[in-house]
Amino acid sequence: MQEQFISIKNEVLAQIFSAQSIDELENIKTIYFGKNGNLTKLLKEIPKLPKESKPLVGKIANDVICAINNAFEEKKLLLSKSVNTKSEWFDITLPGIKPKIGHLHLITQAISEITKIFESIGFNRVSYPEVEWDWYAFESLNMPKNHPARDEWETFFIENLKNTKYGIGVLTPHTSSGQVREMERVKTPPIRMLNIAKCYRRQSDISHAPMFYQFEGLVIERGINITHLKGTLDYFAREYFGPKRKTRIRPFHFQFTEPSFEIDITCDNCSGKGCRLCKEGWLELGGAGMVHPSVLKNGKIDPEIYTGFAFGWGVERVLMMKSGLKLPDLRMLYTNDLRFLEQF
Amino acid sequence: MNILVPDSWIKEFLKTKISPKETADYLSLCSQSVEKTSKIKDDFIYDIEITTNRPDCLSVYGIARELNAILTNLKIPSKLKPYLDTKQLLIKSKTNLPLEVKISDNSLCPRFTAVILDKIKIKPSPAIIKERLEKVNIRSLNNVIDITNYQMVETGQPMHAFDYDKILNAKMVLRKSKEKETVITLDGQERILREGSIIIEDGKGRIIDLCGIMGAKNSAVDENTKRVLLFVQTYDPIRIRKTCQQLSFRTEASSRFERGINPEGISDSLKKAISMVIKNCNGEIASKIIDIYPKPQKSTNIQFDMNLVSKIIGIEIPKKNVINILNSLGIQTSRSNFSTLNCQIPSWRINDILLPQDIVEEIARIYGYHNLPSNILPTITKTKDQQFVVEEKIKTILKYIGFIEIANYSMIGKDLLLKLRLKPEDYLKISNPLSSDLVYMRPTLIPSILATASKEQKNKNDYNLFEIANIYIPQGQNILPEEIKMLTGISSKKFLEIKGDIETLLDELGIKNYEFKKANNISDIYNQNITAEILVDKIPIGTIGEINNTTQESFSIKNKVVVFDLELNQLITHSSVQKSFVPLPNFPPFIEDLAFNIKPETYVIDLINIIRSIDPLIKNVDLLDSHENTRTFRITYQSPDRTLTDQEVKKIREKIIIILKEKIVAIFKEK
Repeated sequence: MQEQFISIKNEVLAQIFSAQSIDELENIKTIYFGKNGNLTKLLKEIPKLPKESKPLVGKIANDVICAINNAFEEKKLLLSKSVNTKSEWFDITLPGIKPKIGHLHLITQAISEITKIFESIGFNRVSYPEVEWDWYAFESLNMPKNHPARDEWETFFIENLKNTKYGIGVLTPHTSSGQVREMERVKTPPIRMLNIAKCYRRQSDISHAPMFYQFEGLVIERGINITHLKGTLDYFAREYFGPKRKTRIRPFHFQFTEPSFEIDITCDNCSGKGCRLCKEGWLELGGAGMVHPSVLKNGKIDPEIYTGFAFGWGVERVLMMKSGLKLPDLRMLYTNDLRFLEQF
Repeated sequence: MNILVPDSWIKEFLKTKISPKETADYLSLCSQSVEKTSKIKDDFIYDIEITTNRPDCLSVYGIARELNAILTNLKIPSKLKPYLDTKQLLIKSKTNLPLEVKISDNSLCPRFTAVILDKIKIKPSPAIIKERLEKVNIRSLNNVIDITNYQMVETGQPMHAFDYDKILNAKMVLRKSKEKETVITLDGQERILREGSIIIEDGKGRIIDLCGIMGAKNSAVDENTKRVLLFVQTYDPIRIRKTCQQLSFRTEASSRFERGINPEGISDSLKKAISMVIKNCNGEIASKIIDIYPKPQKSTNIQFDMNLVSKIIGIEIPKKNVINILNSLGIQTSRSNFSTLNCQIPSWRINDILLPQDIVEEIARIYGYHNLPSNILPTITKTKDQQFVVEEKIKTILKYIGFIEIANYSMIGKDLLLKLRLKPEDYLKISNPLSSDLVYMRPTLIPSILATASKEQKNKNDYNLFEIANIYIPQGQNILPEEIKMLTGISSKKFLEIKGDIETLLDELGIKNYEFKKANNISDIYNQNITAEILVDKIPIGTIGEINNTTQESFSIKNKVVVFDLELNQLITHSSVQKSFVPLPNFPPFIEDLAFNIKPETYVIDLINIIRSIDPLIKNVDLLDSHENTRTFRITYQSPDRTLTDQEVKKIREKIIIILKEKIVAIFKEK
C-alpha cells in the first residue's frame, strides 16, 4: 500500500507539473480526489488495514496529500501569474478619454496669485468704483485741476456726469483712486488695503490696452517707513517672480507720494545683461512711495500721527514679466480667441 | 520727458574718474533713470528719463550737479566747476543800439532779458559745437542759432536769437494774443492762435515770436543777418502748456518752459551765450543788457526736524551726514536748535522742495534706497471679505464643469446696444472715446458675449463661455452709476444641459431653495418658451434661456445657443459653506416606478410638487423618463422607524393616482 501511495503521488505531481491552466488543475483534482478518484479509493482502503500497519500508512497518506496540496497551490500561483501577463494585447498608447474641463482667464489666475501673496501678510482685498469722480482720481491725490501731472494718465471722460463737490466723472486711470476711499471707509488706521480693479487709459498699442487691471497696496499705520515699503515689495517680488530675479528701487516722482520710487526687475530675456526688450537689463515693474501728507489729510488722517506707503502696478505687466509670457500684443488678453485662452 | 546727455560734456563740468557704467548706475539709483547708454566713437551718450518735478535736471549741467552730489556722498573724488568762469571778460561796443520793450503783464513773462550784438558773421559752428549738437540729435544750422540750442542743452534754458534788423521800429511788445491772430513759425507753418497765448509783436504790429514755443519766420536769423538780438526769458508755464495743447504743437523749448525755468539762472546763461557769440560769430555787444525782472524770485526756507529722517526713512542717519547730503545738493543749512535745521532752498529747486517730506526724499535718495534694509510689516488681525472668496469659487466650479472664462472690454459700440434694442441715450457715454467700438459703458454683458460667440464659432463648434464683470447703471447726472457684478454665459449645449450646469453651480455653493420658473418679463432676445427665471428664496437672481432666431441672425450665430445672466452678489449672499447631516436610514426604502399620461403643456415640477405633498412618507420623487405625453416617476417611500409594508405603500400609491386624476393633471398608466 505504501508504494501505491507513492506511485499515485508521483503520478499526480507529474500531471500538476505539466498542467497548462487552472482549469486543468481543477480537473486533475477532481479526477484524483473526486468521488471515484483513485486517491479517494486508496484512502478508503486504510481502515481495512491490520492495526499495526495503520499508523505508518496513515502517515504516508497524510504526507502524500500534503505534498499534492502544496503542489496544487504552487502551480496555481504560477499559472495565475502567467495568466496576468499572457492576456490579450491592448494598446495602452491610445489617447486617454479626458473629462472636458474649461479654463480660467489669465488675468483671473494672476489676480488670484497676487491676492494670496498679499493676504498672507495681512492685506485686505477691496474694490472701488471704475466710474469715479475727479476728486478721488486726481484732486485728492495732490493733482489739482490743470496740473500737468494729469497728462501722464490719458483719461477717458464720461459725458453728463458731474458733481458740484467731487468734480466731473471719469473712468479711473489708476487704482490709486481707491486710496482716499479706503481712508474714508476705515477711518482709523491700521489700513492694509489691496485694491485690484479695472483701469482705463486712452491708449491702444501692442503694449497697452485701453482697459487693463492694476493692483494697489496701501498701508497706513503708526511708525511705517521706507524700510517697510522695501520689505513688502521685496517679499512680493520674491514670492511672485522667484528668488532668481533681482529688483531695484530708484527715485521717481508722483504727486501723491513723497518720496516716490519706481521698482525695476531684472529682464528675464537676457537675465539682466541688457537686450532690445529691456532697459540696460532692467524692466519697469511699477511705482511706489510714501503717502503724501496732503493725501492723508484729504482722507482725514493726521500725518503727524500716521505714515504710510502705497504702490500701484499693472496686473498684465507683472504677468508678462513673470513667465516670460511673450505675448506679441497685450490686447490679445481681451480679444478672447478661444485657441489662446485654452492654452492656460 | 527724456534727454540725451553726452558723457564728455558732463566731464567738462565735473572732474571725476568714474566709468560710464558707474555713471549710469549711480544716476539711476539716486537721481534720474538712465534708460540707455550708447557709444558714439569715444563718447557715451546717456538717454535719461527726467521726472516732471525736476526741470533742473533737464540739462547737462543739472545732471553734472546731481552726479556731483551723489559722488560726494559716496566719498568718490569729484569736483563740480561753477557754471560761469568769472574770468570771462565782455567787450563793450561803442554803439548803443536801441530796443523799446513793453510788457503788458509781468505774469506772462516774469523775467525778460535781451542784448543786441553787432558785426555778426553767419557761418557754420566750430566742430565741437556741431559734434555735441549732433550727439543729442539737434541739427546744426549756423553759428548763431546753434548757440541758442547749445545753451538749452547745457543749462536747460531755452533762448532765441532774432535778426535785430527784422524787429521793425526796434520795438517789442509782449502781450496776450487775441482770438484768431496768426503767426507763421520758423518751420513755415501758419498757426491760428486762440486768446491768451504769449506773443511778441514788433513796432509795425507784426507778430515776431510765439513765446516759449517757436520764433516767427519773419524775424528769423538767416545767412544775411548782421545784428542779432539774444533773448533769454521765462514764461508763465500754465499759459505755455495751454497754448501747446490748443495748437497740438510742442517743442524742446516749450517742454522746458512748461515744467518751469529757474529765473535766477537766466543771467549766467545770457552771459555765457554772449561770450559764445563773441567768440564764434565775431559779434560785439552793441547795447546794454536789458533785464526786466520786477518781482525777483524769493528764496525759501524750510524748518526741518531731523527726527523725520528716522520716522520716514526708518534708519538713523547721523546728523553730520544729513547736513553733508543737503549741502552737496546746494541746500544751505544752519542749526535752529538741536534737532531742527534751517534749510535754504537753492533757486533751481524752489518749486519742488516745499515740505519737510521733500527734504527727507533728498536725504533718502542720496543716501541710497538700495542701502536701506528691508523690514516686514507688523502682524495684523483682520476679517476676510467673503465676496472675493465666493467669486473665485464660482469661477473654479465653472472651469471644472467645462467653461472657458473670457474678458471683454467694459465699453461697447452703439451697434451692440442697438442689436439688443437698447437706447444708447439711456447709458453712460465716454466723451473722448478712442474708437467707435468702445464708447458706451455696458449695461449688460450679453451683447459682448454674443459677439464673442459669433467671432469664435468658426474655430469651435462647441463652446461654453462665461464672463464675470460689472455692468454700469446710470443713477443721474450727479451720482456715480451703480456698478453691479454679473455672471453671464453662453453655450452651444442644450438648454437642459446648461440648466444642469447652473443647478450644479448652485448646489456647490450651498444654495438650497432655488427654482426655475416661467419668466414673465424678460428680454426679447430669448425664445420665450425655452427661457426660465432663476429664483433663490423666491428672489429673482437671473435668467437662462435659448436665444431666439431674430437675435441669432442679428449676431450671425449659426447654431442655437443658450445664454444665462445672473447677479453675482445674489449668488454670494445666498451661498453658504454650512453642511448639514441627514441621518442614514436604518430601514430599507420602498422604491417603485409609476407612469402617467399628462395633459400637454403640463410642467413636471407641478406634478412632482403635488406628489411630494401627498404624504410625508414619500421621501423622493425623481423623473425617470419623459417621452411624449408620458412621464415616469421613481418614487421612494421611506419611514425612519420601520420597514413599510406593501399595504401601507398601496394606500399612498392609490392616493397619488386619485389626486393626480382629480387635479386633471395626469392619468395613471397601468402596466
